[in-house]
Amino acid sequence: MNLKVLIIDDDEVVVFIQKKLMANNEITDCPLVFKSASYALDFIDSEEDSKEFLILLDINMPGMSGWDFLDELNTKPNKDRYHVIMVTSSVEQRDKEKASHYCMVREFLEKPVTNESCRKIKDIPEISHFFVKV
Amino acid sequence: MFEENEELKILVIEDNYGDFVLIQEYLTDEYSNFKIERAENFKNARKFLEDNGDYSAVLLDLSLPDVDVPEKLVKEVLDLANSSAVIVLTGYADKGFGMKTLSWGVSDYLLKDEITSSILAKSIRYSRERKRVRRQLEESEKKYRNLFDASPMPMWVLDRNSLEFLNVNTAAMELYGYSRQEFLKMNIRDLWAEGETTGEEIWKNNINEFFSFQIKHCTKEGELLYIEIESSPITFDGRDARVTLAHDVTAKVEAERELFHSQQRFKALVQDGSDMISIIDENFRYSYISPSVKNILDVDPENMGGRNVFDFIHPGDEVRIRKYLKFLGNKKTVQLPSYRYKNGEGEWRWLETIMSDLRDDPAVGGLVANSRDITQFINQEKELRESLERYDIVAKATSDLIMDYNIESGEMKFNEAISEIFGYSTENTEFNGSWWDSKLHPDDFARIKAQEREMIEKSRKVGHTEYRLACADGSYKYVLDRSYLLTDSSGNPTRIIGSIQDITDRYNYIKAIEDSNERLREIAWTQSHVVRAPLARIMGLIDLLKNHRENIENVAEILDNILISSKELDKVIRKIANRTES
Repeated sequence: MNLKVLIIDDDEVVVFIQKKLMANNEITDCPLVFKSASYALDFIDSEEDSKEFLILLDINMPGMSGWDFLDELNTKPNKDRYHVIMVTSSVEQRDKEKASHYCMVREFLEKPVTNESCRKIKDIPEISHFFVKV
Repeated sequence: MFEENEELKILVIEDNYGDFVLIQEYLTDEYSNFKIERAENFKNARKFLEDNGDYSAVLLDLSLPDVDVPEKLVKEVLDLANSSAVIVLTGYADKGFGMKTLSWGVSDYLLKDEITSSILAKSIRYSRERKRVRRQLEESEKKYRNLFDASPMPMWVLDRNSLEFLNVNTAAMELYGYSRQEFLKMNIRDLWAEGETTGEEIWKNNINEFFSFQIKHCTKEGELLYIEIESSPITFDGRDARVTLAHDVTAKVEAERELFHSQQRFKALVQDGSDMISIIDENFRYSYISPSVKNILDVDPENMGGRNVFDFIHPGDEVRIRKYLKFLGNKKTVQLPSYRYKNGEGEWRWLETIMSDLRDDPAVGGLVANSRDITQFINQEKELRESLERYDIVAKATSDLIMDYNIESGEMKFNEAISEIFGYSTENTEFNGSWWDSKLHPDDFARIKAQEREMIEKSRKVGHTEYRLACADGSYKYVLDRSYLLTDSSGNPTRIIGSIQDITDRYNYIKAIEDSNERLREIAWTQSHVVRAPLARIMGLIDLLKNHRENIENVAEILDNILISSKELDKVIRKIANRTES
């Protein structure tokens, strides 16, 4: 599959929950997990240009925050390769508003991620073709 | 009348001696006393006539040896005869010619064959009478012409139907500036001033009657004249005409109008003026009071005659006024201090009076009081004084800086706050517009000057603005400036009065509150993340247990994680509670 799924979150429990749900909802069995956003950036840079990325991104992280990561991504060419799902524990409207200004943000989810959240992800028009059952 | 006993003096021009003797005899029959001379030819006749012009009659025979043409003879004799009557003697054959001579001025003609004593005497008598009457007529006509031409009154003769000028005298030419030639080409209508219609009307209604009226005429120079016309119908050189006498009354009309205006003016001054004039006798009783008192004090002037002045003056002012009145006699005029006077409504009005002593003037015979109602002025003055006092108190009591800026001179005045709040010494500083400009914060300068310009140029009454103003020590204070634009009676801006409040403390408070709000917002954001993180974990784990139990190998680990997250959440909430309490 040409779609790589990345989970960027420093909270192990959250990662555990998200991995489980991804597998159960047949999004991916082996998501790539990054505790730090900068590691994720390095990984993306090392990948081929043909790859697309589904990125579950936490906002509040030590070091590089979710916003910093988005700003970095914004500087890259071929931005339609990145499909970012913002995943945050905050319920602040301001964050949602801010996220809408980045073109590669496809969805804004509040933690915890649930089956419902996964269905929404699979229904995103830009990536839904990756999940069609054969 | 002709007198019979007057000595007759007869010249007989006759070449025939017989005929001469015959005539002499006839005359002797009729007249007791006469002188007769004979000229036997024209040459002698001329000599006689030139030497003595005073013949009663000249008897002329038409056939003389030294004259061929009888007509020439008659005319020359007539010329020489002057005032003497000329009687022509002819033969029967020349009867027709004799008659013709009458038209040249000959008094009579006699046929020699028919002459008798009585015919001759009668002819002489009639001829002399005719001559006399004719001379009188000539003289009278001459007199009339003199009267017309030399009259100082402008006169003219008009055709009765066309109104064209037939004759005009010197006075008329002088008055109107037209020459005789010009007048004779004109019509009376050319003299009428523009818009004048009376002439046409009166003439139409009285074509053959005498009339007189007044009319406006225009001279050649365009000057307007008021003319009184008297016009009578006459016959002039055989034409129906009218002779007109013109009387220039311009000066009179103007004088009358001037007099009328002057009377109107005087009436307006006395009756409708704002001054009252009264005449008071030595006992201070009114003998005259101007009608304007009715308008000014609502008192009927007729009821005031004989009343004492002090009946109307406020008792509180009486002593003061009497003191001043004592000066009269020493001084011609005295100005009384303002005093109260009871008007027709029983209200007290403030009056100001100048007294003049005209007791010596027989036309007046008393004291003339010239008074004016100044109540409004006194009230205004009182209001102004109170308003100034109020302003003084307010300016002293307020902690605001009060500014008074004279737009024209640039001069500025402040209350004590300029030194108390801003630290400027009122003795050592010259306050003016450019000083003020130098005290504005550079970042505010352009904005404040633009507002000030707009206020003055657009006459905006009220201004309200905030800016920074430098103190004497160089520090800046935040001020709230509320200004008011004053204008003169025609609306031109004259002054700006500003009340300037020091809002530095308030400004700093607001800034502190805004800073603190910003910090609180940041804290709230962090808290929402921190608090919700363990909660979201718990919710996610429970979701797994509930919906994905079949795919979970290690339930114990999940339960442990729920417990850890719950404790973490508990810790966070306790921390918040503690912080809020302390």
